[in-house]
Amino acid sequence: MQRFRELSPLKKKEATFGWKLVSPAVILIGLFIMYPVLYNIYLSFFEVSLTPGVPNKFVGFQNYRELLTDPTFWNSFGITMLFVLITVVGSILVGLGVALLMNKEFPGRGIVRALILFPYVAPVISTVFAWQYVLMPLNGPLTILLSNLGIMDVTKDLVNDPNNAFLVVSFYSIWKNFPFIYLMILSRLQSISQDYYEAADIDGANGWQKFRHITLPELYYVIGSLVLLRGIWNFYKFEEVYLLSKEARTLPIYLYEKAFTGLPELGVAAAIATVLFVVMMVLISIYVRKVLKW
Amino acid sequence: MVVRKRSFIKTFLFWFFIALVVIFVSYPFAYMVSVSFRYDSDAFDPGLIPENPTLSQYAQLLGLQESIRQQMSEEEQQLMGLLESLPEEQREQVLQNIQSSRRRESFPFLRWFGNSLLLAGLSALTSLIIGIFGAYSFSRVWYPGRTFVQRGVLLVYLVGGVILSVPLYDLFVRIGLTNSGGTSMFALYIIYIIQTLPVSMYMLGNYFRTIPESIEEAALIDGSTRIGTIMKIIIPLSMPAIITVFIYAFMIGWNEYLFASIFIRPYPGAYTLPVGLREIFFSEHAVWAKMMAASVLTAVPVIVLFMTVEKYLTAGLTAGGVKE
Repeated sequence: MQRFRELSPLKKKEATFGWKLVSPAVILIGLFIMYPVLYNIYLSFFEVSLTPGVPNKFVGFQNYRELLTDPTFWNSFGITMLFVLITVVGSILVGLGVALLMNKEFPGRGIVRALILFPYVAPVISTVFAWQYVLMPLNGPLTILLSNLGIMDVTKDLVNDPNNAFLVVSFYSIWKNFPFIYLMILSRLQSISQDYYEAADIDGANGWQKFRHITLPELYYVIGSLVLLRGIWNFYKFEEVYLLSKEARTLPIYLYEKAFTGLPELGVAAAIATVLFVVMMVLISIYVRKVLKW
Repeated sequence: MVVRKRSFIKTFLFWFFIALVVIFVSYPFAYMVSVSFRYDSDAFDPGLIPENPTLSQYAQLLGLQESIRQQMSEEEQQLMGLLESLPEEQREQVLQNIQSSRRRESFPFLRWFGNSLLLAGLSALTSLIIGIFGAYSFSRVWYPGRTFVQRGVLLVYLVGGVILSVPLYDLFVRIGLTNSGGTSMFALYIIYIIQTLPVSMYMLGNYFRTIPESIEEAALIDGSTRIGTIMKIIIPLSMPAIITVFIYAFMIGWNEYLFASIFIRPYPGAYTLPVGLREIFFSEHAVWAKMMAASVLTAVPVIVLFMTVEKYLTAGLTAGGVKE
């Protein structure tokens, strides 16, 4: 790379101009994203004081020790992993299915396409209320439907049952986010050359064989990247989980409650955030090397 | 014959799955809309079509009609007259009761709507402006360290909001941005900018690269400045991308609950829609019809915005630069 002072005057002017243009963004991102990430690690070694004038107390690894011996933490950790697994696999399967379906021409496709985006586009707060309504025990229309089908008891409060709340939240998250997957896969599908399929037809391939040997390989990297993106986002997911059910105790919820409700323990919360971040980094780097082969 | 029969089954299955998808996506929306046109007392009547449809929930939320609760508060005013004659101590007590019940019963939907509009709109606009210059810089101008800046922007994808919540809260408390509704809203304004900035820059950068550089060079030879070409060439030519990015950033601010709940919970006057609606939901009983009407009114602006730019939005999303 060329050094700045070795540049010609014209190029120097250009470079300075470039830096000036990007500097507001760089400063904002540095101050409010990069610095907080490091500051968060720093805080995790302190007992954070909320009284002005009283300094934070250095406690070393105590916050981490407290965390790693806390069964609630491990429980949340497990639930988070399950939640990510279910939502990533679920939303990709649904998104793939719907994309294959919508890749065919049919009357009314425009309307159906617009409709499919609704869950993704509508605010979380609105859709959460709608799902809570249909899942109300006794009165909710979906509750009544499910109990008529003999699937569950009409008095069951699906949303607020600590045993299965994270399943309801997972279902909601799939419903909310599959349109994103569908959009990405559909746009890739539409760029696959028809020649492949025609050649396969001549060879007498059936629908499944075409899907297995042409469509899927073409989709490999899109799906691979989608797993990565959805994995990252769902790992940190707060709104969709917390607003739908307080009983779905994933790690972000645990962190939020430690930090901002009851007696705030910001140091412990910072330790949770650090653990989240480190686990995420490790998972991403393994995934990127093994699956995406970058 | 065999072929025909098979294609009939295929067609049937195809439409069956289409119907399934339509039901799957629209099920909760159908009830949300239906219940919003009912009276609170009919909220759980069976069926999708309301038997006694009413617009009163919407009228109350939009301030066109006084709610029953507000009408009752006129009685309270008469009560206030009577209060004058009470002894000092008792008067305090009764006044406090009335005030706390008022606070609980008020549903200042328009105010929350306005707060959300202001916060999401302003932060999306700011993020867009900073993003345009930033994206132009690293997609068009060469300088040492450009790749580093570009990668850094992408790296931000790995940092979720929850990770930032503790340090940002601590930071803003220290610089004193949490001691009033106004300053807390300012803190949120900054947070929404940084939450949308990386996406804005990434999406815009991708789009700018598709604009032929020769157009710009021609303008530069004609004596236009670099800033001039951004204003007169790049911005007009990227209007679809710019509008898409604005709407995307707007939606992020409109949806945001985590930081809003941390910063503005103590200041009801500064509530945004997600915080306000959730507070109401947990403080009142059996207001399903009104909650649903409020949900519809919260969803309609973003859905309308998105549908008008659906074509561009799809292109922008699939170009790879997205964040939630």
